[in-house]
Amino acid sequence: MKRAGPSFEMRMMLPALLVLASLSLIPFVTLIVMSFSHVKLMGGIRFENAALENWHRLIEDADVRSSWVTSLVYFALTLGVEMASGIVFALVLHRVGRGRNLLLALAIVPMFMAPIVVGLLGRFLTDSTLGLYAWALRILGFEGDLLAGKTSALLTVIGMDVWEWTPLVALVTFAGLSAVPAPLVEAAAVDGAGYFQTLRYIVFPQIRRVLLVALLVRAMDAIRFFDIITITTNGGPADATKIIPVRLYETAFRFRELGYASVIGILMLAFSILMANAFVRVLGEKGLTR
Amino acid sequence: MDGSTPVSRRSLLHGMGALGALAYLPGCKGGSKESVGAATESVGDGWARYKGTTINFISENTPPSAAIAANLKPFEELTGIKVNISQMELTKLVEKVSLDFSSGQAGFHVIYADPYQVLAPFSEGLVDLTKFLDKKDFPALENGLSDFISTQLDAGGRFLDRQKLYALPYDTPTMIWHYRADLFEKHKDKMAHDLGFDPTPSIQLTWEQYYAIARWFDKNAKSEIPYGTGHQAKQHDALMCDFSNVLWAYGGDYFQAGPELGLVGTKKPGKSTLSGNEAIAAAEFYNKLLKLAHPGSRTWDWDGVASAFQAGQLAMCPNWHEFAASNEKALPGKVGYAPLPRGPKRSANIWGGTGVGINANASDKEQAAAWLFINWATSPATQFMTLASEKGGGTPTRRSVYARPDVEAAKKRPSQLPNILAAEAVNEAWKPENIGLRPKVATWNQLDTILFTQVSRMLAGEIKPDEAMRSSAEKFDVVNKV
Repeated sequence: MKRAGPSFEMRMMLPALLVLASLSLIPFVTLIVMSFSHVKLMGGIRFENAALENWHRLIEDADVRSSWVTSLVYFALTLGVEMASGIVFALVLHRVGRGRNLLLALAIVPMFMAPIVVGLLGRFLTDSTLGLYAWALRILGFEGDLLAGKTSALLTVIGMDVWEWTPLVALVTFAGLSAVPAPLVEAAAVDGAGYFQTLRYIVFPQIRRVLLVALLVRAMDAIRFFDIITITTNGGPADATKIIPVRLYETAFRFRELGYASVIGILMLAFSILMANAFVRVLGEKGLTR
Repeated sequence: MDGSTPVSRRSLLHGMGALGALAYLPGCKGGSKESVGAATESVGDGWARYKGTTINFISENTPPSAAIAANLKPFEELTGIKVNISQMELTKLVEKVSLDFSSGQAGFHVIYADPYQVLAPFSEGLVDLTKFLDKKDFPALENGLSDFISTQLDAGGRFLDRQKLYALPYDTPTMIWHYRADLFEKHKDKMAHDLGFDPTPSIQLTWEQYYAIARWFDKNAKSEIPYGTGHQAKQHDALMCDFSNVLWAYGGDYFQAGPELGLVGTKKPGKSTLSGNEAIAAAEFYNKLLKLAHPGSRTWDWDGVASAFQAGQLAMCPNWHEFAASNEKALPGKVGYAPLPRGPKRSANIWGGTGVGINANASDKEQAAAWLFINWATSPATQFMTLASEKGGGTPTRRSVYARPDVEAAKKRPSQLPNILAAEAVNEAWKPENIGLRPKVATWNQLDTILFTQVSRMLAGEIKPDEAMRSSAEKFDVVNKV
């Protein structure tokens, strides 16, 4: 006779599942409720029904739309540059014989820094009064301040993120390159394949899954990029760097409009889920997630 | 300022303690710094009744708090109360205070209550301090409330109701004109000849003349000083402060009620007047001025512009007067101070003072201990200590401190109290006709962000000055639902 109730494994996992559920489900449900409420903070938190007001406001809010556009530009540029430069760096590192470990160790230092420190460092380096980069640019004829122009400010904060996280992509790619079977590369060489042909037809297909993992990790992180912008530009100039997490922070913690901030947060969450699903689908097609 | 007050046993003892503290000033003979701020030790009764209590004080990372954090020992010995001080950037402070009030707990007992970003939106979360002022079993507030500068007591401590007091004035930074006195002196005759007026900074000069002086430096003294002027024009609270000086000088304002809103404040400020001709004229001038300014200006807040000035990048700039101490360290004897220039209406010098209040969620015992702390922290002796401290450099909010002969003497170089070198300019700036008070409204954090964002867009060339002002006014009205 078969025993009723959960299996032994399920019973063992149940406490952990309950903790996980309470950590994710309760905040999620609260977030949904808040998005339909006016949240009063003083004298204890109270939710007052706002029906669809917060959602309606989102449709009309040109500032939030502008932040989404900035976010998408930032997202595409950051991921594009980090992936390209990380792969190139890993390929170079893979070809280096002596001193490879030292180079690798030096290269990954930025990603161990707190983003707030990276922001401060970047701000000092680009400061038009005393910054090293600003000094170098002045020699080249650029008299302005990198964080003062709309385009240059966005590119500069992207540059800071790229500086910090390209090493991660390089590290992951390098690990993938190390796992490419040497006989395959040797066979390609024997067949007369050039360097770029080998990369395209032998190496990249072999490391594609690893690259997708790197892309997924960086994409999820880039969606919630915050610290460096806060410490350098505060979203300016002229909102040029006010990406959606900065707008969310401002709405929630500066204006204390938690209901409306919940709506912005839910959209961010939806965007993250869509991105994650897109990547998982690609991975699934390649068999990695099976 | 009049400093006349009756002399009680308590104030006499305070005064003796403060004189003792003076003996331990840097450069003076004898004593140790541990004794600084010990003025209240001899007061005795009432101070030690909450021995063993711990209170948490959240403050912006300002000079007075740095000085108090370095000199807490006398208070802790006097009262047996332990004080933990958290210092941080103002925006972070507002966020943490907001969360603390919302939680219904009292993680922080003593609150650095910025009048606009904390007091106005969270006045319900602060204790009405009059309940302690009237209690006989607590140590009295030395010299009473009349020892505080009355404008600052209202602006920094009250909201909506004149009978209630939510904070005691704690610091009092005010924006004034900082300039390189050595360069002005050197080029005075040539500048006067070229410009057609005496360029010596004073409240008699106009913003247009300020602009002309800055341009003169750019054209004639580039080898000595890279830029004539620099500003705190980052998309930040600092930009609102910098622009407000010009806005008010040109006769513009945020709301119809004008400066009155800066004293007791309101929850219903009405329609914004930023789209008025005066405000637009101010924006047009500010846009013109910033085109001339150091290119780093659009990336600087008050710290940034102070660093640039101290690094010898600017001939002049508007900034908080409490940077005088660091100016003196970087450019000893080379910096002068004056009230800001006037516009068609007046000279306006934004006041950025803040009070300290008590979290209403705290227990009775914690509230009482917190009151003892803010009584001590705003006492004349402690105010003098923060003025003299190497760690700090704040400026007092008490009339009696300014009336001290040693403080009066320190207004001239060589001065042991470098922030007091700016006192003459600041006293002029504090006159009712010259002080700049932001509107104290509960929605200020949003209004502030709207204003500095639109002005930032204007400076970036995205919109014209009139669009910036009209757009700000429209957004203000949406936020205030008018």
